Amino acid sequence: MNVEQTTLPKKFHDAVVHWQRHNFPDYGLLPENWQTYFPNDPEFCLCAKMEIGMGDTIEVGDKKGERRMMKPSEMGEEPARHLLAIIRAQASTEFGSIQQHEGTLARAQDDEDRFWVLRVMAEELRHGYQMFHLLVSQDWSGVSGQKAEEMVEEILSMQTGSHVLDAFNLEYDSFVDNVVFAAVIDRVGKYQLSMQKVCAYKPFAQSMPPMLREEAFHLAAGVIPLRRWVQRAAEGNELISTQAIQRSFNKWLPRGLEMFGHEKGGDSNIRFGFKNMKNAEAQSLYYEEVRKMIADLNQRYLRARLPKLSPDEAERLADRLMKDGGRHEGVDHEDLIRIPHPSFFRRKGEPAFTMVGTHGESYTDVDSYLRHLKQTLPEPYLHSRDLKSYLETLRDVVAGRTTVDQAIRKMPKLKRVGGMCPCSRSVRWVVEDGTAA
Amino acid sequence: MTSIASDIRIRPLSELDISRIVSIDERLTGVYRPEVWERRVGYYLRRDPESCPVAEFEGKLVGFMFSDVRGGEFGLEETTGWIERFGVDPDYQGRSIGRRLFDAVKSHMVRNEVVTIRTLVDKNDSDLAAFLRAVGFDNASLQALELRVGATA
Repeated sequence: MNVEQTTLPKKFHDAVVHWQRHNFPDYGLLPENWQTYFPNDPEFCLCAKMEIGMGDTIEVGDKKGERRMMKPSEMGEEPARHLLAIIRAQASTEFGSIQQHEGTLARAQDDEDRFWVLRVMAEELRHGYQMFHLLVSQDWSGVSGQKAEEMVEEILSMQTGSHVLDAFNLEYDSFVDNVVFAAVIDRVGKYQLSMQKVCAYKPFAQSMPPMLREEAFHLAAGVIPLRRWVQRAAEGNELISTQAIQRSFNKWLPRGLEMFGHEKGGDSNIRFGFKNMKNAEAQSLYYEEVRKMIADLNQRYLRARLPKLSPDEAERLADRLMKDGGRHEGVDHEDLIRIPHPSFFRRKGEPAFTMVGTHGESYTDVDSYLRHLKQTLPEPYLHSRDLKSYLETLRDVVAGRTTVDQAIRKMPKLKRVGGMCPCSRSVRWVVEDGTAA
Repeated sequence: MTSIASDIRIRPLSELDISRIVSIDERLTGVYRPEVWERRVGYYLRRDPESCPVAEFEGKLVGFMFSDVRGGEFGLEETTGWIERFGVDPDYQGRSIGRRLFDAVKSHMVRNEVVTIRTLVDKNDSDLAAFLRAVGFDNASLQALELRVGATA
């Protein structure tokens, strides 16, 4: 590969390793088992990788055709501040997903699935490391108001609940979440990385291709186990069902859609030359890609249930069962997985707090909607603080006690309130002032 | 036969290509074997998706070529690009899709400082041998040998 590898200055490298010891204790299993699960693959490297040979010309935005920028100070204050927020959010997601995966990693039924996720986690650690390289190798203090050490400490101190994006603030309920998260949420990551390949700030653009190559495997670590699971479900395996997978999709897809930002936004990213698509366009392509993934899973399921079907017959049957409901040779339409409506269970963006069901149906009162959520979300998630907060806020919106905009900002977050250790666990629930966020 | 080569889009392999690859393989071999392709696609995705171009026509995957860059095998210390899996939907054969896929593999190999591209062909598969010769392959000094040690073929 045309890639240049580099390591962070020792104090930052050590901070990441320190964080790993506290938050990713299974990391050491990876080198011990690498040859078993990934024979002949180059060994994992905790380092930053920069693509060599990328063009010097800005591809989109107000400065299209000009030379790509190499320092934050060349960007101007507003673009630099905007890009810094993107880098910090990216870093937060990388470390955040490791914390989420770690909680249920050991519950995997198959060792191969577990080690695939373990590799995904290690590569997410590398991606976080990559973002730190961008933060500490240049001077961002003009727009951050912080030293590099403070930015790194702030990101490493985040826990599930305090990350920048909501998808990284939800606990996993089972290993089904590990796999569905890789298939659904990592797919958003693929879109973001792909869009950011054009970035006018060259070090950021150079970071994307190596991350994208690794992200391709992350998506496989979601989709391939799912394909095997629907086959097992079709064969009558008691330990996995398409309903369990469906509920996990219902939990994660709304958060994935929100990761693209508000449907009306994204102009600044284009104008500054940071991305090549607006939010709604990327979100729409993403949704269609998830639809295809689910169609493939249904085809895999149907051909396992009814082996005499050809690929085309299986596709037509899935379409018919989805459209008309009913059964065919013992297969019920509810045995298949259905993509939730894009407005279902949304708390950000245009459909925020609109009470739309999985099929796109509308609800007018909170209790009916709650019954629908109980029928469609994973049972353990119903007992979560996240859902409780959502429902309380939803009741306030419906009763007119708060506006949707206030509600979007009002969701409780974990905030670090002190502590010197970069992986400090000194975080508490706080509710931010809705007007301040 | 109408040439559609100019309407073909070549892109790197993704995990969502498995279903179509399984279908193409099923049409070529008559065997439905999703497990095989899930395993192979998983392997190639973790190696390098750009080494494995696929061809799309009107949004439908119609061909694929899987390759891998390795060195140090069979005493060949030079960096070698191995073409290992290749398939074109029978409905789209004869339309230069294989050549487009090979060109993409070759370009990627050159960018990655590969010295030689190698592959193995069944002596009975004259069509594949003819295709490979047409894109520039020649006889190699290496000869494939095998020894059957199992009870069944």
